Amino acid sequence: MPAVRGDGMRGLAVFISDIRNCKSKEAEVKRINKELANIRSKFKGDKTLDGYQKKKYVCKLLFIFLLGHDIDFGHMEAVNLLSSNKYTEKQIGYLFISVLVNTNSDLIKLIVQSIKNDLGSRNPVHVNLALQCIANIGSKEMADAFGSDIPKLLVSGETMDVVKQSAALCLLRLFRTTQEIIPGGEWTSRIIHLLNDQHMGVVTAACSLIEALVKKNPDEYKGCVSLAVSRLSRIVTASYTDLQDYTYYFVPAPWLSVKLLRLLQHYPPPDDPGVRGRLNECLDTILNKAQEPPKSKKVQHSNAKNAVLFEAISIIIHSDSEPNLLVRACNQLGQFLSHRETNLRYLALETMCLLATSEFSHEAVKKHQETVINALKTERDVSVRQRAVDLLYAMCDRSNAEEIVQEMLNYLETADYSIREEMVLKVAILAEKYAQDYTWYVDVILNLIRIAGDYVSEEVWYRVIQIVVNREDVQGYAAKTVFEALQAPACHENMVKVGGYILGEFGNLIAGDTRSAPAVQFQLLHSKYHLCSAATRALLLTTYIKFINLFPEIKSQIQDVLKSNSNLRSSDAELQQRASEYLHLSVTTTTDVLATVLEEMPPFTEKESSILAVLKKKSGRMSAQEAQREARVQAREGNAAPATEKAQNAQLKTKPSSNAAFPIPQLNNSTSADLLGLSTPPATQNSIQSNTGVLVDVLGDLYGGGGTNTHNGTTTPASLSMSGATDNIKKFVCKNNGVLYENDIIQIGIKSEFRQNLGRIGVFYGNKTSMPLQAFNPTVSVGPGQQGKVTVQVKPVEPSIDAGAQVQQLVNCECIEDFNGLPDLTVGFTYGNVPQRLALHLPLSCNKFFEPTDMNGESFFARWKNLSGPLQEAQKIFKATGPMETASIKTKLLGFGMQLLEGIDPNPENFVCAAIIHTRTQQIGCLLRLEPNRQAEMYRLTIRASKESTAQILADLLAEQF
Amino acid sequence: MMCRRQLSECQHLRCSSLDTPPTMIKAILVFNNHGKPRLTKFYQYFNEEMQQQIIKETFQLVSKRDDNVCNFLEGGSLIGGADYKLIYRHYATLYFVFCVDSSESELGILDLIQVFVETLDKCFENVCELDLIFHVDKVHYILNELVMGGMVLETNMTEIITRIEDQNKLEKQEGPYNSASTSSLKAGLAAAPARAVSAVKNMNLPQQIKDIKLPDLPAAIKDLKF
Repeated sequence: MPAVRGDGMRGLAVFISDIRNCKSKEAEVKRINKELANIRSKFKGDKTLDGYQKKKYVCKLLFIFLLGHDIDFGHMEAVNLLSSNKYTEKQIGYLFISVLVNTNSDLIKLIVQSIKNDLGSRNPVHVNLALQCIANIGSKEMADAFGSDIPKLLVSGETMDVVKQSAALCLLRLFRTTQEIIPGGEWTSRIIHLLNDQHMGVVTAACSLIEALVKKNPDEYKGCVSLAVSRLSRIVTASYTDLQDYTYYFVPAPWLSVKLLRLLQHYPPPDDPGVRGRLNECLDTILNKAQEPPKSKKVQHSNAKNAVLFEAISIIIHSDSEPNLLVRACNQLGQFLSHRETNLRYLALETMCLLATSEFSHEAVKKHQETVINALKTERDVSVRQRAVDLLYAMCDRSNAEEIVQEMLNYLETADYSIREEMVLKVAILAEKYAQDYTWYVDVILNLIRIAGDYVSEEVWYRVIQIVVNREDVQGYAAKTVFEALQAPACHENMVKVGGYILGEFGNLIAGDTRSAPAVQFQLLHSKYHLCSAATRALLLTTYIKFINLFPEIKSQIQDVLKSNSNLRSSDAELQQRASEYLHLSVTTTTDVLATVLEEMPPFTEKESSILAVLKKKSGRMSAQEAQREARVQAREGNAAPATEKAQNAQLKTKPSSNAAFPIPQLNNSTSADLLGLSTPPATQNSIQSNTGVLVDVLGDLYGGGGTNTHNGTTTPASLSMSGATDNIKKFVCKNNGVLYENDIIQIGIKSEFRQNLGRIGVFYGNKTSMPLQAFNPTVSVGPGQQGKVTVQVKPVEPSIDAGAQVQQLVNCECIEDFNGLPDLTVGFTYGNVPQRLALHLPLSCNKFFEPTDMNGESFFARWKNLSGPLQEAQKIFKATGPMETASIKTKLLGFGMQLLEGIDPNPENFVCAAIIHTRTQQIGCLLRLEPNRQAEMYRLTIRASKESTAQILADLLAEQF
Repeated sequence: MMCRRQLSECQHLRCSSLDTPPTMIKAILVFNNHGKPRLTKFYQYFNEEMQQQIIKETFQLVSKRDDNVCNFLEGGSLIGGADYKLIYRHYATLYFVFCVDSSESELGILDLIQVFVETLDKCFENVCELDLIFHVDKVHYILNELVMGGMVLETNMTEIITRIEDQNKLEKQEGPYNSASTSSLKAGLAAAPARAVSAVKNMNLPQQIKDIKLPDLPAAIKDLKF
């Protein structure tokens, strides 16, 4: 064992051993707390600690922090260590700060000076400590403080390589926080020329920096291309002895090569034929070297070599212009697919995904289909299998779709749970995209439900129904297939949903066969009914009413079911309602009306498949790749669309009801609103009104097509008017918190507080639905009664509210003088593509700025008498709208914001109050007297205020409260 | 309910405002086979509690994997999910995990981990878990020479060791109290460049580390004389 173990800080070692010998967590915590107390007292004590002691204690704190304990002291000691003359103390100070101080800490200000001193030090080790600290913190403050020093350090001829290297990365880090930090102009070429630096370490660091700069401003840094290519060329052609220290396991400068190749991927292939030729030569050489026998058996050798190789392949794919190189790259990856190193198989699958989208190499990739499918079956590592699924998805086209989909279905039966949902989506997309025969498509989706029903999301089964409804040729087949599928003794609930819907629409197409006669169909579905959730049952009830229309002969059988207690008296409101309404519909209407109401679903308007959007959302990392891929696939298929596809499109166009039933899914983030109507067929909705969420969804969608009703300047879809929206604005005169407005889509809550002439109102918008609210835009505007008298400042909110989420908006307000009425609050958003607009008021009335004032009877009456000007008093006599209970009247007056003065009025039945309204310009004293007359159920309200006009405003506000 | 929502809203705001811009390497974690952290370095700000949760999550993800599967996997949900990759190596009792974004080459990072471990091995002469425990500070200094602010600084081991040696020279010039520490470490380092070169040629480090027979840790502690 090396002798380091016996080194200096004995106390530290003892402490660590103590901790490690602790038998229990409690003992450990106890020991740590003891040590923390000890260190704290040492730091606080009078005795000055020497550097060694400080260093030891800071080390102990670091160790305690590593164990997961919060450290809330010692920061000042660390700051002091920074300015120490001793290197070891300085070093430990910096370490403490880099581990324990976050970017927003106030301490940052304290250390700036120390860092500045070290940055100017003649000792490169000190300068590097400072640079490391700046880079680790990397905050805006750091950028502001050192933004001018570091670029100078980077390009100065006097700076040592070690420092230059750190300065480049430090600058890069600060650039990420503050883009302006990089000076333009002549600096650009000086930075680019770092690529020619003698020191490989400097070039590597500079390369990272330049890559970031190029991302922001590719044109300005265009000059780096030729320098990077020649640098790369020199490395690639060098023998491993040339670069000595930077040769890693016989590979010359692998990290720098990778960096240079990454940098070049930000540009298209060079225009200059010379540069371009040189780059292609490099790539060629790298590909050649891959075929040479390894110079070492060490895994490090092959790792380094392949890191460069993969980057070279990556740039070949990126340029997508050299067919020869692309095919070679593909072959190389093909070799890796069956390499014994798992890492290489993983990377090969990942990289091949990109290759599959190039028109030059797509066919070459397809040659490896067998191997990839095999990987899916035999790889032990789920990460690798996941990449295999991705690649199969990417290499799929019309020619191999059936096989790939079948393989993916096979794999799905045993697939890891973690990737099932994504696989289901991928299979559904491929089946839809490449279906030439829609019976195949229907089979695939039903198989998906059978194999992995739990992972089949709504989007997937909505989509199959949409497609069946829109395509006449497949309806009979679909009905037959679902009928068969439903005969399985245990079938997934999603199957019941799809089956129920399809049989309800197209059951008649198979009713001719006695084996699937109407009664048989009905009994089959109904045998599943009691095993299903309420939502599925609701869907089945709709199927039953549709059956009544399709098959009058089983009407009485169905009516019995609708009549049954479990439905008509179901505890689920939706089921109860459907059962009773459908029952009445079947009893009271003529067959003609019934046929019209329950007519077959019209074709869905064709929108993008919503499944693709879901997939994109699911695999965040894939999205960029995916976007590139989609773009390329479209380009490719656009160029070489097979004749069959064109014929198909032509045929579809002759059918006006369904336009292009299977377009290649477009890149688009549209939500799945198009499908929400499916849970109940809209045809029946016109005759049924309900205020449950589901139906509002449907109606929202229905009215979306037909425009919105406009009345009274407020555009609200009709669905809202019937859904029992509640607007509680009046109640807010006497309270500050609560629900302001609520309908089936949104709930708006208020919390507010006021002090003097200032106020803060939190408006909470809650999305009650299962879909996001888009284009969400609440605005507040002051009306004529408040113009110039009250100011409101509204904080912006995000433009969408996720399903079930709540967002908060803060409104700051100030009362400038007394004002009348309430500011307008207009809430606009789109729900399921239907624009909605709610015209509400912000509960901000003049009385909110009341401060209750206590006074005795004498001064009350004295003031009362003083306020005797004609406009200083307002009186109202009005009828009581609610019970005249003393307690509730008191609550309202207190909520109004005034001080209730007891025992002042000679008549104990009466109420008197006093308060001051704070405005920016003045204070308005207000007195109130309320006289209830219980016999007549009337009130008389009298308000006097020191400012004319105020009394009337307050009287108007309060009178409506009783 | 409103209050709780409000609270979580605030927390959310706080988190997002503190988020530093993305770094290439988000975190470097070293923990042992039981998940005990031995070195943690975050290049993006997370509060203490979050750091511990990330370590736990990462340990769970990595430790259940066989030794022969690939060294890359998607990051856990706490550290950035599928946008980040965990690239790791398992040496005897320790896992070295780098959490990186897509701007780094996977194999490159794998080699960087190797360089890091080889450097530790040089500086501590046959590094083992105990060295990391008792010399947290030294390990940090070595790491600082490889990675800075989440970016790869230097990959050449000879160069790194030269720099560590420069630091040790400065240490040596200072007070007597740590002369014991420097003399031993220095003895290892003075000869380092020459040995490093030869070592690079004939070392299969994972093998070497695996071959070290570490006694059970509690026992090892008892044997140590302080």
